[in-house]
Amino acid sequence: MGKKQNTKGKRDSQESQEEPEEFVVEKVLDQLAWDILADNTWEPEENLDCPELISAFLESQKNIKEKPAPVKRKASTDEPETEAKRKDVAEKPRGFARNLDPERIIGATDSSGELMFLMKWKDSDEADLVPAREANTRCPQVVISFYEERLTWHSCPEDEAQ
Amino acid sequence: MPTKNVTDERISKFKNKGKDPAKLREKRITECVELRKAHKNESFLKRRNITLSSLPDEEALSPDYLSNEIATILSIEEIIKDVNSDRKESQTRGCQAARKLLSQERNPPLKEIIDAGLLSRFVSFLSMDDEPTLQFEAAWALTNIASGTSWHTQQVVEHGAVPAFISLLASPMLHISEQAVWALGNIAGDGAAYRDVLIECNVIPALLARISPETPVGYLRNLTWTLSNLCRNKNPFPPLSAVMQVLPSLIQLLHLSDKDILSDACWAISYLSDGDNDRIEVVVKTGIVSRLVELMSHGELSVMTPALRSIGNIVSGSDLQTQMAIDAGVLDVLPQLMRHPKASVQKEAAWALSNIAAGPCKQIQQLITCGLLPPLVEQLRSGDFKTQREAVWAVTNFTSGGTVEQVVNLVQSGALEAIINLLQVKDAKVILVILDAINNMFMAAEKLGETEKLSLLVEELGGLDRIEMLQNHDNDMVYQAAHNLIEKYFGDDDVEGVKVDTNDDAFAFQCSDEQRTFEF
Repeated sequence: MGKKQNTKGKRDSQESQEEPEEFVVEKVLDQLAWDILADNTWEPEENLDCPELISAFLESQKNIKEKPAPVKRKASTDEPETEAKRKDVAEKPRGFARNLDPERIIGATDSSGELMFLMKWKDSDEADLVPAREANTRCPQVVISFYEERLTWHSCPEDEAQ
Repeated sequence: MPTKNVTDERISKFKNKGKDPAKLREKRITECVELRKAHKNESFLKRRNITLSSLPDEEALSPDYLSNEIATILSIEEIIKDVNSDRKESQTRGCQAARKLLSQERNPPLKEIIDAGLLSRFVSFLSMDDEPTLQFEAAWALTNIASGTSWHTQQVVEHGAVPAFISLLASPMLHISEQAVWALGNIAGDGAAYRDVLIECNVIPALLARISPETPVGYLRNLTWTLSNLCRNKNPFPPLSAVMQVLPSLIQLLHLSDKDILSDACWAISYLSDGDNDRIEVVVKTGIVSRLVELMSHGELSVMTPALRSIGNIVSGSDLQTQMAIDAGVLDVLPQLMRHPKASVQKEAAWALSNIAAGPCKQIQQLITCGLLPPLVEQLRSGDFKTQREAVWAVTNFTSGGTVEQVVNLVQSGALEAIINLLQVKDAKVILVILDAINNMFMAAEKLGETEKLSLLVEELGGLDRIEMLQNHDNDMVYQAAHNLIEKYFGDDDVEGVKVDTNDDAFAFQCSDEQRTFEF
């Protein structure tokens, strides 16, 4: 009984009967084909030779599918909205971009070609390099402290001559 | 009168009041564009980190001094020298300079760097565990090259980057491992071929091993995105064994709260469920359906969209799979999505509904009970065309699988009127689907012996005129279908054995066995 209603493309096919003449239509058919077949082959399996039972059965099943069964439709081919590839442009936050407060400068270097300060930040153990020109404008007092701490006085030539 | 002029004069001196709104808007847009341009120029200048050691910084950054292209060429020459040298410091400097060029927002010189023959060196740097800075810069540079076209990615892969990156996943330096994740994501995202190459190289266990409660969110975001690319693409689908490996971790990730992680994890599920029912089964067996339905209500569009897509895929599966979505409460969420301000969301919701309506009448009944008919009719009336197209499918599927009572319910909700109004669209396929629906409604009417009533109703709603006109349509199938309808139900005047019961304007469908009447 359930068989007749399950003509959706997705369902597993029911086993067909052993008798050669009867078979259950399982595929989805268009309207025209269905009309042709319905007259000839659409019979409930149990009621092969009892037309009265058949019509009674028909009446009781108001949702009989003489119409083409609906088929589930898969997703449309619209592209998904995520990128398949991504370029890494972000400057990993380093130096002042980390938005931390400078605590003090603990070193300086110019091995990269430009004078850089090694900056210790407040509330962080990780020190990193910042360009001196940036530090000079952003935290001049910190820079001044660094230089003052390292001021060395050289004796003047007259004293050295002695 | 003089007073009015004075007032007008004063008002025109105010910044905004009394001004033409269109002009004001124009002015705001212009100002905004200027600000944006100025900001862009500023950050562009900052980013151009040209390594011309002989020039002081200020001059190097001036756009007047050098055109960008010449600067790039000179940079690359320096880079080649540095990268090919034997000194670690030079190699690092060169690699970093390359990385910065390759990270430019506009036209990064991918091809130039490749043509300069630098890829082999970069790949060799990846294995230098004692030089983490060098490893990192090389990994970053290669990531960005792999982010280009298929040809660019191919160059990266053909220079042997894949095994090197997979090894780097295990690096104790988190930022280096993360860079490797990103690079592998780009390679996997190129397509099914490289995706499967990576899977063959056992990338999945290596990636999954990086997930722990301590893993930082940023890392997990990259990881989830890479995993999603490993689930992506069809022809062929990823190997089922790979899918089974990835799923448990995907489920874990889906229970986090970071929106970027959720978004990419949902996309991954949407790729995995976009296939035949066996593929869908693998997904639903994880028990993830409830969480997906939950995420359909997420505040972020970037999360809700792939969650909706995933559920849409699931309900395109078997009746049992569809029932799982219904049991998880999808019908409670769908109405608000069908009314969502974004058209594409409405469309996807209608599509999902149309597939649920292709189910057994028990599920159709649930559609009715959960109030899906009113939003459906709204979509038919005022949705954008793509949404209307999906909604029309919902109606036809409904009329096909529904009981007579359910079909009458549908007609009463206003759906018939709405689809009749859509008969004037250009799309022949949509017209055919509508004519199918109308035909199905007549079949339901036949069960009640009430086709005459329905014909009158269709005529009253303007349907007869439209269907008659469709007999002249270009498309053969449309003309045929319209013609059949006219012949079958609008042909003769004689009424054969139909119980007629009209009271004024009410059209009553009377069931022969029971005393129910359906009024429109």
